[in-house]
Amino acid sequence: MIRILTLAWLVWLEMIRRKDIYVLLILLAAFLVTLMALNLFGLGQAVSYLKEIGLLLAWVCSWILAVSVSARQLPQEERQGTIFPLLAKPVSRAEVLLGKWLGAWVVTGAATLVFYVLLALMVALRGGGFGGVVLAQAWLLHLGLLAIITALGIAFSTRLHADAASALTYVVTLAAWLVMPRVPDLVLTARGVVQTGLMVIYYALPHLELFDLRRRLVYGWSPAPGAAVLLTLVYGLLMTAVFLTLGWLAYRNKRFTRGAML
Amino acid sequence: MAETINHLPSSMSNAINIQDLVVEFPGAHGGAVRALQGLSLSVAQGQVYGFLGPNGAGKTTTMHVLLGFIEATAGAARLFDEDVRQTIARRRIGYLPEHPDTYRFLTGRELLLMAGRLFGLSRTALNARTTELLALVGLETAADRRLATYSRGMLQRIGLAQALVNDPDLVILDEPASGFDPLGRIRIREIIVALRERGKTVFFSSHELSEVERVCDRVGILAAGRLVAEGRMAELVKAGESLEQYFIRVVS
Ligand SMILES: Nc1ncnc2c1ncn2[C@@H]1O[C@H](COP(=O)(O)OP(=O)(O)OP(=O)(O)O)[C@@H](O)[C@H]1O
Ligand SMILES: [Mg+2]
Repeated sequence: MIRILTLAWLVWLEMIRRKDIYVLLILLAAFLVTLMALNLFGLGQAVSYLKEIGLLLAWVCSWILAVSVSARQLPQEERQGTIFPLLAKPVSRAEVLLGKWLGAWVVTGAATLVFYVLLALMVALRGGGFGGVVLAQAWLLHLGLLAIITALGIAFSTRLHADAASALTYVVTLAAWLVMPRVPDLVLTARGVVQTGLMVIYYALPHLELFDLRRRLVYGWSPAPGAAVLLTLVYGLLMTAVFLTLGWLAYRNKRFTRGAML
Repeated sequence: MAETINHLPSSMSNAINIQDLVVEFPGAHGGAVRALQGLSLSVAQGQVYGFLGPNGAGKTTTMHVLLGFIEATAGAARLFDEDVRQTIARRRIGYLPEHPDTYRFLTGRELLLMAGRLFGLSRTALNARTTELLALVGLETAADRRLATYSRGMLQRIGLAQALVNDPDLVILDEPASGFDPLGRIRIREIIVALRERGKTVFFSSHELSEVERVCDRVGILAAGRLVAEGRMAELVKAGESLEQYFIRVVS
């Protein structure tokens, strides 16, 4: 466990010492301020507009961060050659994978929290507010979503360059996001192999839409039932475990030689 | 368990045991590059072993198998009687890679702390150890600077320090002298001699034959993935021949 935590700490330290995360934060803040400025010129429904666009921005930023941070971890170790002194220690490949995933997850989860707080501040400045419980639930579920995305990024990057792995993670998560809610309708009209294929997709790909509480936040609805939130989180961790296991299968016998990633 | 092993006489188990090791890499046109072609080698505990050979002979590849970076195509390798494919085999090992690559966003001290934690060292033990190692490699004044600002030789020094963080029983060094200034080379030699005096095993590759001649008990010479000469330093170079002359004779 100490080894996994040490590796996660390394990911964290690198992130806070790099500039990307601050750039994202500043960009997000700039966008929100611009939105508020627009509102000042008299757009109707000012607060819910700010909430909706702000949440969308926060989601996109957090998505980009999750993919880019997770998909870059393992390839970077190889490109920089740091994987050699690392694996020369009594650290297993599974621990490397878990440590990197944990680090990427915590970093993006923390950044997402900052995004939410920033947004809540802006909304408060406009005289609005989020339901506290719903906001906490939304962040928790967002964490579940980020666990899946970072696990995918790590899994793909066990055998791919950072660029390829992040592109693939973007495509898969976007496809899951857009397609999955429509699959049940499609299954009804399809038949034969196509139907089976759709069923397989429906159960194999993660249901990212389950983690989305944005509408509750925007329209100020009551909190989601606790049991539902809990179940969704369990589902998220299960999916995360599946992807990490697949990643480990690809990683455990990988040969680390010079130039393997060039 | 570790205690009992430590108290065995050094002849009982070798630090390194390599049997008929073959390593193939995918080569051009679907062929294969045979980096190691049936290498057998053993290094007894407490020895300083010089691992020599021309460029591309397979020295780094051998070390990579020993550390579990690559699995051999055929053959077996053991460290202190543990199969190198087991994570546990690396508990008593220190390793300095061929290239001094490191986490550039860390400071020298942080790198050592990180390395020590991976070995499960306690915080207090680690703090003392870190200070001691920084002094050993002469980096006290640069300890709290980012590694990104280190020179090549300084990176090599911090690499050596992290290789020693767990007070290893076997130290594997891939060309430790490269990048060091003349004083640094003397320091490296002193460190190796000090390790031997404490009963540690040192296995290192080098192209600096005069250095090797000074510190090694034994040498093995590798050429094209095979061991072409092996033995005690004193046996190999006799009758006024230098190691360099001997090396050139057996390799060509
Ligand atoms: N990933 C790889 N793919 C293909 N061939 C490789 C790979 N890694 C090493 N080789 C080949 O294996 C052989 C042995 O290489 P190795 O790095 O072990 O040599 P070395 O003895 O350490 O040389 P040097 O003294 O230059 O460091 C070389 O021919 C090298 O080109
Ligand atoms: Mg080499």
